[in-house]
Amino acid sequence: MSEVRFVNVSKEFEDDNKGKFTAVNDATFTIEDKEFMVFVGPSGCGKTTSLRMIAGLERQTSGDIYIGDRTVNKAHPKDRDIAMVFQDYALYPHMTIRENMSFGLKNLKRPKEEIEKKVSEAAQILSLENLLDRKPRELSGGQRQRVAVGRAIVRNPKVFLFDEPLSNLDAKLRVQMRMELSELHKRLGATIVYVTHDQVEAMTLGTRIVVMNQGEIQQIDTPEELYKNPKNMFVAGFIGSPPMNFVRGRLDGNIVQTVEHALVVPEDKLLKYAEYQGKEVVLGIRPEDVINIEHLPDAPAQNVIEPVIKIVEHLGSEFLVYFGIGEETIVGKISSDYHMEVFKKHQLYINMEKMTLFDPQTQMRIG
Amino acid sequence: MATNHQQIQLQLDEKKDKQRKIFKIVGLSVIYIVLTIWAILTFVPLIWMFISSIKDTTSITQVPPQLIPDQPTLDAYRRVFDVGGFARWFLNSVIVSTILTISNVVLASLAGYAFAKLKFPGRNTIFWILLGSMMIPGQITLIPLYILIVNTFQMADTYLALVIPTLVTTANIFLARQFMASLPSTLIDAARIDACSEPKIFWKVILPMAKPGLAVLGIFTFVANWNNFFWPFLVTSSNEMRTLQVGLTSFRYQYTADYGAMMAGAVLTAIPMFIVFLALQKYFLKGITIGAVKG
Repeated sequence: MSEVRFVNVSKEFEDDNKGKFTAVNDATFTIEDKEFMVFVGPSGCGKTTSLRMIAGLERQTSGDIYIGDRTVNKAHPKDRDIAMVFQDYALYPHMTIRENMSFGLKNLKRPKEEIEKKVSEAAQILSLENLLDRKPRELSGGQRQRVAVGRAIVRNPKVFLFDEPLSNLDAKLRVQMRMELSELHKRLGATIVYVTHDQVEAMTLGTRIVVMNQGEIQQIDTPEELYKNPKNMFVAGFIGSPPMNFVRGRLDGNIVQTVEHALVVPEDKLLKYAEYQGKEVVLGIRPEDVINIEHLPDAPAQNVIEPVIKIVEHLGSEFLVYFGIGEETIVGKISSDYHMEVFKKHQLYINMEKMTLFDPQTQMRIG
Repeated sequence: MATNHQQIQLQLDEKKDKQRKIFKIVGLSVIYIVLTIWAILTFVPLIWMFISSIKDTTSITQVPPQLIPDQPTLDAYRRVFDVGGFARWFLNSVIVSTILTISNVVLASLAGYAFAKLKFPGRNTIFWILLGSMMIPGQITLIPLYILIVNTFQMADTYLALVIPTLVTTANIFLARQFMASLPSTLIDAARIDACSEPKIFWKVILPMAKPGLAVLGIFTFVANWNNFFWPFLVTSSNEMRTLQVGLTSFRYQYTADYGAMMAGAVLTAIPMFIVFLALQKYFLKGITIGAVKG
């Protein structure tokens, strides 16, 4: 069993500039055995602090951390059966790749034969056989990244910890390494805790994702659930690229009345919004739910708006079109099969089947 | 018309190019002339020291002075060794400088590492107090230090008296802290996860990376102590305990001075420094830039 459990864990820091601040506030969650859990959020949200607390590099101010079935509150990193891959790889520059990979096992006083066997196995998995006698400075970014992963693999730990390992790579290499990490997870069958600020990385790698903001856990869910049913406006705005659009309005009967439009809410959704009848709400619409009417010849007459397009961004297979509803700028992701012109009116259908409503005060999803 | 215009333009460009070249040549010439004068000014005392050391006792004080001696002689060098003690002074200088270099490298690197990378209560306060102590002029601490070493600890005329006050200097701790701070902290984290004990992290991870910085620190310490005069002069009284710099004063008598022997001694004293400098030039240059802000 190699699950990781946080029970009411908080971490406070004393900072010269900020004074006392809470990096992680009362976090409780369980990372299941063999799970690929991704922590995602903006800078300073507490994701790396959480990872460092699992590693034992930071001691929590309060709460309990479990790895497997034992508490590791005061355990030294070496006694936690974890391995970590750092953002800057943290390879020892004066050691060869072989020495880098075997350093941990040597410190644990494992037999020489075992160390050699494990290093060569990991080198084979990661195609590093020919680089073992080189120094880190002689390797490319991608190769260094592999060595850092290799150094973690040889330890055969219960839990792998990754701290933004792909952020120093170029876009192409990042996609490739993403696939390799995903395959590695399947191959090793280990628990992986992965920190990133890149929501695409989070969505593609994670079996579940923890979304954090300002030290608070916002939502823990599968990528699909996070996307389809975000718990609050932060998650809705953070997950998805471009993010979800928010438009203020009032719910009257089956209509969300915005400054400019009356959008009809599907009957089956109305029940859960009953409490908000006659009240202010925030309507959330994903960019792909803004559809060019030319794509939908049978589209209903309702929920069609005709805004003036302000900006069109060409992405190849699709356009990102920007237009205004009141003071809010809305972005739509529209297939590039039909021509879209700037400063012209275009008929766009808002797919209210997939809309979400939020409470403007609490910013939580309604229903 | 167009061709004419182009030709005029070309001629103007050529003229500008020429002007630029002239400015460049003039600029470089000025720099070279200033640097040459500077080099000469720096070098003259050294050459004068060497020339004086191969003059005989009469021509050394002759006016006008001889730039190139008529009869060069190594008599002054012989006298340096005849007077006795030179070899011992040399040995003393080697012993004191070596001990202080080793102690400063070891202690300053440990302290620098602690101040740069370890978290402990009062870290910044202690460091600021240390930095503050650098602002106290040496002349102020000299007398209390002398009383402490000579009167209280009764260490006068011993190696301990020569080395104890500067076993580690604040300046070296500061220097060590600066380059230790430039080493990535994630390497220390990685080593902790790699089951490395704290002393082993310092020994196996930090020290190998800090080598260039420590080399600079070592060289500077060695040179400073080799050239140190005042403190050894204060705490040594017997001929056997003198260091080279203090020993050279033995050639000054009550009414006269053997300038030839002094110059010969100074040449012999400077030779190890020349060797150190020439062999480790790149570290000297590195030393100047440690702690500087990168552009």
